[in-house]
Amino acid sequence: MNAQTHIKEAGSKTREMSYAEAIRDAMAIALERDPTVVLMGEDIGTYGGAFQVTGDLVDRFGKDRVMDTPISELGGAGVAVGAALTGLKPIYEFQFSDFAALAMEQIVNQAAKLRYMLGGEAAVPVVFRMPSGSGTGAAAQHSQSFEAWFGHVPGLKVVQPSTPAEAKGMLLAALEDPDPVIVFEHKLLYKMKGEVPEGYYTTPIGKAAVVRVGKDVTIVASAIMVHRALEAASKLAAEGIEAEVIDLRTVRPLDRETIIASVKKTGKLLCVYEGVRTLGVGAEISALVAESEAFDYLDAPIQRLGGAEAPIPYNPDLERAAVPQSPDIESVARKLAKGEV
Amino acid sequence: MPTEVIMPKVDMDMASGKLAVWHVAEGETVKKGAALFDIETDKAAMEVEAPASGTLHHILAAPGVSVPVGSPVAYIYAEGEAVGPAPAAAAPAAAPAPAPAAVAPVAEARSEAVASTSATKPEAVAAPVVSAPVMAEAANGPRATPVARRLAREDGILLAALSGTGPNGRIQRHDVEAEIARRKAPAVAPAAQPAPSAPAYALDWTPQAGDLHVTTRKGNGVPLVLVHGFAADSAGWMALERALPRDLPLVRIDLPSHGRSPLRRIGGFAELAKALVQTFDRIAEGPVHLLGHSLGGALSLALADIRPRQIKTLSLIAPAGLGPEIDGAALNGIARASTADSLAPWLKRLTARPDGISHDFAKAAMLARIDPALRAAQQELAEVLFPDGVQAFDLTAALERVTAPTLMVWGRDDRILPWKQALAAPGGVALHLMRGVGHVPHMEDPDAVAALIGRHIRA
Amino acid sequence: MARDAQENLPFAIRHFSPEALKEALRKMHLIRLFEEGAEESYMRGLIHGTMHLSIGQEASAVATCMELTDADKITSTHRGHGHCIAKGADVGRMFAEFFGKETGYCHGRGGSMHIADVKTGNLGANGIVGGGLPIAVGAGLTAKRLGRDDVTVCFFGDGANNEGAFHEALNMASIWKLPVIFVCENNKYGMSTAAAYATAVPNISDRAAAYSMPGVTVDGNDFSAVAEALHIAIARARAGEGPSLVENLTYRWRGHSKSDRNRYRTKDEIEDWMSRDPIQRFRAELIAHGVLDEAGAEAVEAAAKDAVAQGIEFAKAGPAPAITDVTKFVHAEAAA
Repeated sequence: MNAQTHIKEAGSKTREMSYAEAIRDAMAIALERDPTVVLMGEDIGTYGGAFQVTGDLVDRFGKDRVMDTPISELGGAGVAVGAALTGLKPIYEFQFSDFAALAMEQIVNQAAKLRYMLGGEAAVPVVFRMPSGSGTGAAAQHSQSFEAWFGHVPGLKVVQPSTPAEAKGMLLAALEDPDPVIVFEHKLLYKMKGEVPEGYYTTPIGKAAVVRVGKDVTIVASAIMVHRALEAASKLAAEGIEAEVIDLRTVRPLDRETIIASVKKTGKLLCVYEGVRTLGVGAEISALVAESEAFDYLDAPIQRLGGAEAPIPYNPDLERAAVPQSPDIESVARKLAKGEV
Repeated sequence: MPTEVIMPKVDMDMASGKLAVWHVAEGETVKKGAALFDIETDKAAMEVEAPASGTLHHILAAPGVSVPVGSPVAYIYAEGEAVGPAPAAAAPAAAPAPAPAAVAPVAEARSEAVASTSATKPEAVAAPVVSAPVMAEAANGPRATPVARRLAREDGILLAALSGTGPNGRIQRHDVEAEIARRKAPAVAPAAQPAPSAPAYALDWTPQAGDLHVTTRKGNGVPLVLVHGFAADSAGWMALERALPRDLPLVRIDLPSHGRSPLRRIGGFAELAKALVQTFDRIAEGPVHLLGHSLGGALSLALADIRPRQIKTLSLIAPAGLGPEIDGAALNGIARASTADSLAPWLKRLTARPDGISHDFAKAAMLARIDPALRAAQQELAEVLFPDGVQAFDLTAALERVTAPTLMVWGRDDRILPWKQALAAPGGVALHLMRGVGHVPHMEDPDAVAALIGRHIRA
Repeated sequence: MARDAQENLPFAIRHFSPEALKEALRKMHLIRLFEEGAEESYMRGLIHGTMHLSIGQEASAVATCMELTDADKITSTHRGHGHCIAKGADVGRMFAEFFGKETGYCHGRGGSMHIADVKTGNLGANGIVGGGLPIAVGAGLTAKRLGRDDVTVCFFGDGANNEGAFHEALNMASIWKLPVIFVCENNKYGMSTAAAYATAVPNISDRAAAYSMPGVTVDGNDFSAVAEALHIAIARARAGEGPSLVENLTYRWRGHSKSDRNRYRTKDEIEDWMSRDPIQRFRAELIAHGVLDEAGAEAVEAAAKDAVAQGIEFAKAGPAPAITDVTKFVHAEAAA
């Protein structure tokens, strides 16, 4: 994947860093550039954050700008919304995206709607960072993928970066955005390394990326699923099946053009997402393709791979079985490409 | 009590059989074990022997009628036995084979489609090979993907006439594209010099009456019957004939719509085999050696299966019917070519050494195919036998059943039928794989092939 | 109880039978050994995910549950192993749950953070800080509406006292005078954040005043002190006088979870608390008052050790859930 193509004002040099480090780098740049930026969250100070994303930022910027909050997601999110409404640019970290359920009132009823309710006279430039996804053995209440929940709310933007370079660029883009943005960070990606441009740049919100070009089947995936789809695609390539892989990157607003153009080329669509399959992100993508001019190019029923209709289980084998894995993607994509679906 | 003659079950999934022909007429005597009638199943024709000696009476099933397995079709009365009243005729098979009935509306629909397209755009006749599930769908419109529907709409193709290769017979993009390619196939051939006004091939041809054309070479001993391949004719054996022993009697049969045989509309492989069997029955004076090439090989195999006692040895050169793969483009190309220039590239595919096909050779070959009606009939036959570039008939089971000593010769560089299909042969078959030889070993290396056949028929 | 001669004895010695006290000691050992066994199993790779250990808080768990019957309910927290054992759970099934086995309390679906045992009145540990508070109030409401005299003990940590749910739950329990005892195990840190930093009042029990209920802070490592505070609160609840808030001051020896690097606490602080081991303290107290002798105490600990060893074997032998059962228990199964 070439992150350079999506970079604005990027430094020419790159440096290898982890996904978590890239997010920290983005926050450090933001704290340096803009005195109104504050970080808020539980244990983001001395502890360094539940996943060590904020790390040592409290030492560099002090407790006034890297603020530990009480374990009060509802209150904490509300404080962030109020601060954003009155002139600060807070980045509020949830320890787990699951805990955002505690704060839905502030996110959904306040942050998302204030600008609209006040007739355009208010802005809530808040960023909610949400570590999400399964694969860590954290079971039902610490492993969910809520992109579709928030993607269902007008007034919010929802992004899901899949690489370190995207994570940095999209967080900076989220801060630049005048409206609330929710950044889903897949927990399994935190340790993933990649080349990240130095300095300030943004990766645009609302733009998907074609990360592998192919002609036989389109796979639209997001977050960790992008990597699983790429793995599946390289196995299929050995059989002569060329899958096109699209990194969705933004759940709301969806990049219709990139998806439709790809489906018109391949005639086959597989949506892969970790959230529960029913009423998930893939349902929306399937629907938009079926409604679009790409319909007349479809040569097989659209397929979706999503999370099981169950809470994320604890047992590791059950946990793996509950979300799409690379062999699942490979199998469905192969059948699609061969006209067996 | 007369002996009941029933429709036997000769195939695992057979519920009824179609009576093809009676070899014994009502009132004639028959010996137990002699050929009594032929039946035709989906897969092959089969000879049924008389279950008793005596006189045949009360024929209940006329040729062409389907009869449920186990039902009586006639009775044999022993010598001196009084002939009783005729029993009631067997009820026709409860579920007649769907194909004939189902094909008719397709053909009608098809002609509409043809009529609706531009008159300047010649249309080949649709292959009536339509699978049953698709036909079942036809009442509510065929199952097809959106892109298949769009392409069919844009090209004026009626989906109901297509056979879907997807799940549940769903018509997919490549099914429609194959149909489009089929219609535009001449464009595939290298730039030819098209005839100024006439279309590249004629659509219309009229079936002709008459028996298949047979020529013979006199000699001593058991004759060798020669059955040529698709788009060839008896003249194609010339090189081999020169290499074979001078005194070996030969019988050459031109297949329907080939050589000097009448043009015939053939509905499937079984019908083609039946035509060959009828001619064979007409001319055979005793057991023969049988040799077939390519499609003629498949037909020879079927003949040996149907008339096992009439065949002393069987020789097959690159026979069809032993696997699905076939170079459909080459078959279509040869069948359609209207000039030596458009024919030559396809002929080159037949041999391992394409430079051996000179322009003069192509011109001579084209001369034999100059009749547009013959070419049209052959195109139609190709569609029937090899729809979508696939061999639509399978003779591997027949090969297992053949009792006559069998020789199989295949060129390792065969680009029409892959030599690996030879591996379908059971252990008793003598298999010869020739290096540096393509699809026509009897033309490419006639001496070697003649030596193999000579040894085989003497053994 | 007109036993003037005994008035100077600790409450627990006066109030409970020697058998009950010995059982309490056994449970405290069982909790300690269970968690040490779980920690070792984790290090051996037998346990997936993480866990929150309550080592150092055993007196709080066991003393709180001393007077509860199986009809009484508890709601627990992410640091809930002690509560679970104190309320009577079987360590074999708890280990089985840790190991992700079908034989575990949650059939391998819950893991450490969701162990429940409804039969013994344990409504379950909860992965959400403050998640159990409204549930406990609901249980109290049920008891009151059905005219039963069972009570609900709601365990929560110091961190949860800053959750909105805490305030909402206490308020509702008070206005409806529900039989709920809110037991705060104040171990000084909500993950890394000090309660003193995160909480506006000096004692969490001070919050009780805002909701018009009695609030008391006791030494959570003193078995007798906790038992006495609970005795009073339970009596009040059973009498229909409403909820109470009890704050047990204690300390977790281990980090918040297995990923804690202990950057927010000093070594001295941890060692100081470890020198005040609630189990040794209770054991010495029992020996001093003649409830048992050294040999007896050793026997109690040995029995707990046996139970843990057997529990681990039981857990290892249990079957894994069938992969095809990934959606099982989402809905009640149709009656056979």
